[in-house]
Amino acid sequence: MADKKKKKRLSKVFDYLKYEDPFAKGVSFCAGCPLERLVRFVPQVMGNDIVITGTPSCSAPVLLGQNGKSWHKLSYYGTLMTGAASNATGLARYYKRAGIDGTVVCFNGDGTAADIGFGNLSGAAERNEPFVYICYDNEGYMNTGIQKSSTTPFGAKTTTTPVGSNERGKNLRRKNLGLLLAMHKIPYAATATLSNLEDFAKKLLKAKEISKKGFCFLHIFSPCPTGWGMPTDTGIEVCRKAVQTNYFPLWEAENGKFSFTKEVKKPKPIKEYVKLVKKFSHLTEEEIEVLQKDVDYEYAVLKQLSLLDQECPLPD
Amino acid sequence: MSEKIYFNFQGPWSDAATELLCSDTGSWRTERPVLDEEKCILCGFCAMYCPIQCIEMKGQFFHSDLNFCKGCGVCARECPKKAISMVPEGEFK
Amino acid sequence: MNMNSEKSELKVITGNGAAAISAVLCRPDVVAAYPITPQTEIIEKLSHYHATGRLDAEMVTVDGENSAMNTVTAASAAGARVFTATSSWGLVFMYDAVLAASGARAPVVMVNVNRETPGIIAVSAGQQDMISIRDCGWIFLIAEDSQEILDLVIMAYRLAEDYDIQVPVMVHYDGFYLSYMAERVEVPSQKSVDDFLAVLKTQPERTKLVPGQKLGCGAHGILEGYVELRHKHCAAMERAKDKFEEISLDFEKQFNRSYGGQIEEYRLDDAEIVLVASGSMCGTIKTVIDEQREKGLKIGLLRIRMFRPFPSEKIIKALKGKKCAGVVDRSICFGFKPGPMCVELKSFSRELGDLKILSFIDGIANTDITKINVEKMISMTIAGAKGENVPEVTWISYDKDLKEC
Ligand code: SF4
Ligand code: SF4
Repeated sequence: MADKKKKKRLSKVFDYLKYEDPFAKGVSFCAGCPLERLVRFVPQVMGNDIVITGTPSCSAPVLLGQNGKSWHKLSYYGTLMTGAASNATGLARYYKRAGIDGTVVCFNGDGTAADIGFGNLSGAAERNEPFVYICYDNEGYMNTGIQKSSTTPFGAKTTTTPVGSNERGKNLRRKNLGLLLAMHKIPYAATATLSNLEDFAKKLLKAKEISKKGFCFLHIFSPCPTGWGMPTDTGIEVCRKAVQTNYFPLWEAENGKFSFTKEVKKPKPIKEYVKLVKKFSHLTEEEIEVLQKDVDYEYAVLKQLSLLDQECPLPD
Repeated sequence: MSEKIYFNFQGPWSDAATELLCSDTGSWRTERPVLDEEKCILCGFCAMYCPIQCIEMKGQFFHSDLNFCKGCGVCARECPKKAISMVPEGEFK
Repeated sequence: MNMNSEKSELKVITGNGAAAISAVLCRPDVVAAYPITPQTEIIEKLSHYHATGRLDAEMVTVDGENSAMNTVTAASAAGARVFTATSSWGLVFMYDAVLAASGARAPVVMVNVNRETPGIIAVSAGQQDMISIRDCGWIFLIAEDSQEILDLVIMAYRLAEDYDIQVPVMVHYDGFYLSYMAERVEVPSQKSVDDFLAVLKTQPERTKLVPGQKLGCGAHGILEGYVELRHKHCAAMERAKDKFEEISLDFEKQFNRSYGGQIEEYRLDDAEIVLVASGSMCGTIKTVIDEQREKGLKIGLLRIRMFRPFPSEKIIKALKGKKCAGVVDRSICFGFKPGPMCVELKSFSRELGDLKILSFIDGIANTDITKINVEKMISMTIAGAKGENVPEVTWISYDKDLKEC
């Protein structure tokens, strides 16, 4: 072994990690949580001179400091969930006015983005505010103890959509947050996840550039091992399966022009995704079929959008 | 009530330039990643996917910083060559 | 408004107009605009000034009051001078952000045009909105007329942004009565306002959120850290009292107008009986006092201009030795019989010695506080001073015993 020199064949995604990971090594995300990879990835790719805003959530204890100390070396601003996008607006507008360089990254879970802070997120998108909004979607209110959100998918078991003799998990369908935001005709909307890091990195860099002029929205699929009932080592695998089954397609819409950044040639049946996650373990074949239909429908809509030629750029 | 000063500011500002908060996450671990150097092809996927970014090139190979590694097993699962195995901590006592 | 003139100008404008012009004169960097009756004219005017180039600011036409407060708070934390305005339910809808602003010690200046709030949707005047959020950690100033609205907004920036204070300031005035009434207002020159605010530039810079600076705001201040920040906040509120006196004197030097500081003492020196009040009703009260003084009655008015922090020391000094004080509240203190300001005044009744304190509740939901009403209050206060049996609390325009309702 010793004499056999190995050659490094590093994956290309390493080229995108241009900046230091500003976080302390020991931060208290659950073991194996993809969200931890996500918060470290964003400044590794976008740079350490971003201003990050965070809300009460799984990421809050880490993004916000405690007693005058911080877990990371970024500039950050802690906001309430209700007004996350409006706070980012205030920062971005003032930096623009004062000629201060720096990307404002409004970093929130689906609870803030899709539910309690949806109104002002929509407002910021409509006003085309110059910042990047990242929603890490773990499909529920995880920090308060795994309650249903509007991005929780059909059938999923949460503590407010339990499984019992009268209920079988959430009997409503999920809100497609990425599409909703894209329909604000913002200059850049995209989805990404942790299994496809190169794709994700490209989108972060694009958002950083485009956000100088207007609103960018990134919808990130981020499974929660603790809340979904997944072994701690499967986070990345679940992301991968979500892409391969079209449960979470990877697309982007630049000036309203939709395209898939990873077309899945032969999508796998949703069953293969569902079986990795305990929150679906009670579902019958028929129930899984409902989820499959929902996934097919969302994909079909995206497919049609990707075939359109039209764009809707803002005049300069 | 202690009279220690926590905030050097009027408001809830924290200065991270000098000292960071840090948890002893290494103590959470029940299993430890162990590398089989023979199998490793140095692709770096383990280091890329490790949620806490504690895998670094040490000498010729990628190694986890056991002070912080939570033992989640992501590195082992994502390694294309199955070069990492998760070994119960008890075996190192 | 002539931005280049070095002289002040006389104009007939509404209270809302005065607030808008004042905001422009203070050169805010970021303004958040969302309409609500009776405040709407302010943000319409600001939008107009912005469109015509008189207001050079980032104008954010937000999606609701909650966003308005969040936007200006974060901008303020980044270093901006900010302005927004609201009223009533708008204030309620931004309440979480109002608390966040004071917690962040962001020197936001906001105008709140007082209007009724809880429960019944009333588009009418009253100070209930202000009262319902009085413990939000902001400094509250209350104006009596349009001129004072304009002047208080300017003073509010000096106070909020002062390095020793760094607490947001809310300028209150009565909706409908002041918001829409056009009065003669002296609009100071841009240069004089610039000069007045220039003092702030000589102070050390407050902490600001700058990209790449490794500094964060909005920490979880747990346990002792939390207590420490609360204590600092309270200390700043205490300092704000003297600071406001100082600023009021500076203001007089610069603009030749004076109102007193935390309180205005109107014909109080030799007064034996006193009305304690705030806001637009004080104009009426002063007229009645002048008339009664003609008849030889020793009566005066203590007008509360700074409601938070509560000017306890000033009030004690001004009321000491008086016989009877009638406190007029344009709001309710649910669960207490007397009005809110009366309840607060009573909290230091020991220091006020033998002073008898009566509570008058009037003017809620647009019921006018007329001269007749004020005369009624005065005669009850006189009776109180004589030791006659007067009810502790009287709803002047709806005089029923609470037990009967
Ligand atoms: S077990 Fe988890 S935390 Fe430890 S090195 Fe592997 S991926 Fe990183
Ligand atoms: S993922 Fe496996 S093969 Fe690749 S560098 Fe890590 S240990 Fe070696």
